[in-house]
Amino acid sequence: MKLKTITTFALIGFFLGLTVLTAGEKLTGLDVMKKVYYRPAPKDMEADLIMILINSSGDKRVRKIKQFVKDYGKVEKKIMFFLAPADVRNTSFMNWSYDDPNKDDDQWIYLPALKKIKRISSEDKSDYFMGSDFTYDDLGNRLPEEDNHKILREEKLNGEDCYVIESTPRDPDYMYSKTITWVVKGKWIGLKRKFYDEDGEFLKELTVEKYDNIKGYWMLTRVKMHNVQKNHTTIMELRNIKVDIGIPDRMFTERMMKRGIR
Amino acid sequence: MRKFLISFLFVFVMLAPVFGGDLEITGYVRNYTGVLLHGDYDFSIVQNTLNLNFELKSDKAALKVNPYVYQYYDRGLEFNLREAYLDLYFNSMDIRIGKQQIIWGKADGVFITDVISPKDLSEFLLRDFDEIRMGITAAKLDYYLGDSTVELVWVPVFTPDKFPPEGSIWKPRMDLPPNAKFDLSRMDMEFNLKNSEYFGKISTLTGPIDFEIMAGYTWDSRPVPFLEREIDPLTHLPVSITIIPQYDRLTLFGGSFSTTVKGVVLRGEAAYYIGKYFRTTDPTVAEGVIEKNYMHYLIGADTSLLGARVSFQFVQRWIFDYQPTLVDPERHNMMTVLITNKYLNDTLTVEFFSYIGLTDGDALIRPKITYSFADGFDIQIGVNIFTGSKGMFGQFHDNDMVYTKIRYSF
Repeated sequence: MKLKTITTFALIGFFLGLTVLTAGEKLTGLDVMKKVYYRPAPKDMEADLIMILINSSGDKRVRKIKQFVKDYGKVEKKIMFFLAPADVRNTSFMNWSYDDPNKDDDQWIYLPALKKIKRISSEDKSDYFMGSDFTYDDLGNRLPEEDNHKILREEKLNGEDCYVIESTPRDPDYMYSKTITWVVKGKWIGLKRKFYDEDGEFLKELTVEKYDNIKGYWMLTRVKMHNVQKNHTTIMELRNIKVDIGIPDRMFTERMMKRGIR
Repeated sequence: MRKFLISFLFVFVMLAPVFGGDLEITGYVRNYTGVLLHGDYDFSIVQNTLNLNFELKSDKAALKVNPYVYQYYDRGLEFNLREAYLDLYFNSMDIRIGKQQIIWGKADGVFITDVISPKDLSEFLLRDFDEIRMGITAAKLDYYLGDSTVELVWVPVFTPDKFPPEGSIWKPRMDLPPNAKFDLSRMDMEFNLKNSEYFGKISTLTGPIDFEIMAGYTWDSRPVPFLEREIDPLTHLPVSITIIPQYDRLTLFGGSFSTTVKGVVLRGEAAYYIGKYFRTTDPTVAEGVIEKNYMHYLIGADTSLLGARVSFQFVQRWIFDYQPTLVDPERHNMMTVLITNKYLNDTLTVEFFSYIGLTDGDALIRPKITYSFADGFDIQIGVNIFTGSKGMFGQFHDNDMVYTKIRYSF
C-alpha cells in the first residue's frame, strides 16, 4: 500500500515521483498520472505538520500536529498528536487504512477531557479536514483509474516543463466535475492543481510553494490551497521530516494514543 | 491559595531537570452564566472557573497536577485537585499513582462499567463530563500485550458521589414519610485496607473490533437508605421512621465493544451488578430495602448523515427476581440522541443532545451552539429543557435554563 498521510499529500501521486521518462516515449494522460502515482515511497515517516487557516478577513488560525505513518503492506497506520491550539492539545487520532478498496478505514480518537478512546466512523471523503480547505479525498490516495485523463497542452510553470492534465471523474456524483493538474516532466511532481465543483465552477487552487528531496524522495514541504468561492486559504507546511527511520509498531496503539507525545 | 499555587510551581520547576523536560502549563478560564426560564428568571448559576494543568513528561515518567477553582456569586471559593499523579513508564507496563480520573466503557453520557471515578452531581448531569468525573486516589497498573491491555486498579480510599447541597435546585426529589428522621451515624467509612476497592479490565483495540471485559469489587457510590421503624405496640403502626443511610458493597462484571459496519460504529456495553439494595414499599420488610441483582446495558450506533455526526443509544436497567413492591420499575428504559455539525471551517459547532426517558416519559433536551472566534477563544450558548413531571429528568421541570459559557484556553 502506498504511504498516504496528510503529509501525504506530499506523497500521493500528485506530489511525488522519481520515475525517469524514456526519451521519445509518447505518453497519454493516464500514463502521466500513473507515473506520478506509482513511484517509490518511504516505508515510514515522522513529521510536524503546521496548518495555517486564513479567512476572508485575513484572520489566521494555526494547528500544529505531530504525526507518524507506517506502511505495513496491506494496511497503513497513521497516528496524529494535536499540539495546538490549546483547546485540542493532547487529542490524538489514529487511522488504519487498507489496500482493500471495499474495506473502510478504522479510526479512533482520544479526547483528553473524556480520557477515553472512541472508535469513530470514517469521514465522508468530501468532508473538510479540521476546518481546512482540503477534503479527506484531497489528502488521500485517489487511484488514477478513477478518472479519465487528457493531456491538454505542455507549458512552462515556474521555469519547469509541465504536462497540463485534465482529469474528469468516472463517477458522475464525485464532488469535483474536473481537476486540471500541472505535472513536471521527469520529476513527476504536481506543481499546481485547479478544482472545479459539481456545477463546473472554479472552486479552489492548490499551489506548491516549496519542495525538497529527502533521502531520495521528492516531498512537498509547503503547499497552499485557496478556495476562491469562500475566499479562504489553508497553508500546510511539513517540518522535521524523517523517513525510513523504523518507527516501532507500538507507536500505533491505544497506549500511545493515551500517553501522547512528549 | 496563591501560596499553594506558588508552592506547586516551585516543586514543578525543581523537578523539571529530573524529568529532563520543561514544565508545561496549560488550562482555561471560563465564565458560565445560566438563567432559569421560569418564575423571576433567577440565575441558576454564575460561575467563574480557573483550571490549570501542570505537566512534566519524559520517556520514563510523567507528573501531572490539575488544580481548579470555582468562584460563585452566592458562595465561597471552591478549590480542589481534579488530578495529581505520577506516571512511571516501563517497557511493557505503565504505573500511575495518585489522584486520577479513571474512565472505562464505550457509553456516552451514561455510566455502566464506568464506575471507578465518583461523580460530582452538584449540578445534576449538566456539567462537562470531565468536571462530573471526580479524581480518586488510586494505583493503576497497565500491562501491554500487543494490541491488548490488562489494567488493574486499587482504590484504597472510597469516595462517594457528590450530591447537591440542601436548598439546591438540583437536589433530587425524595418521597419520604412525613415523620421521617435521618441518622447519618453510619455514613462514615473507616480508612483501612478492608474498605478498599479493586477493579480489573482486559481491553483490546484491533481493526475489526475493540472490546473490554471488566470486574469490580466496589462500594455503591450512593448510600442505601436503610429504615428503622418505631412501632406503637397497641396499634402496630409506625410511630416514627428513621432513615439510616449506609454505603454497601457491590460486585460487578461487565464489558463493552465497538466495531464498524458499513461506515456505522456499533457500540455495546453491559454490567451485571450483584447485591444492590433497592427501596421497597412492602411494610413487612423491616429495613425498607431489598437486595437484588440487576443488569445495566446499552446498545448504540454512530454514523454520518448529511454531513452531521449522529449518535443513538438505547439504555436499559433490568432488575432480576423482581418484586412489584419495589419503588424502581423492573425495566427502566432510556435513550440518548446526539447530532453534531460544524460550519464556517469548523469555527461554528451546532449540537443537539437529549436524554429521553422512555419509562417515565421525561427528557432532558440540550441544544447548543459554540463559536470559536479565535484560537483558544470560544463562546457557547445553549438551553437545557426538562420535559415530563416525574422521573430522573421530569423532576427538574422547573429548572429549564438558558446559559452562556465563554472560555479561553491556553
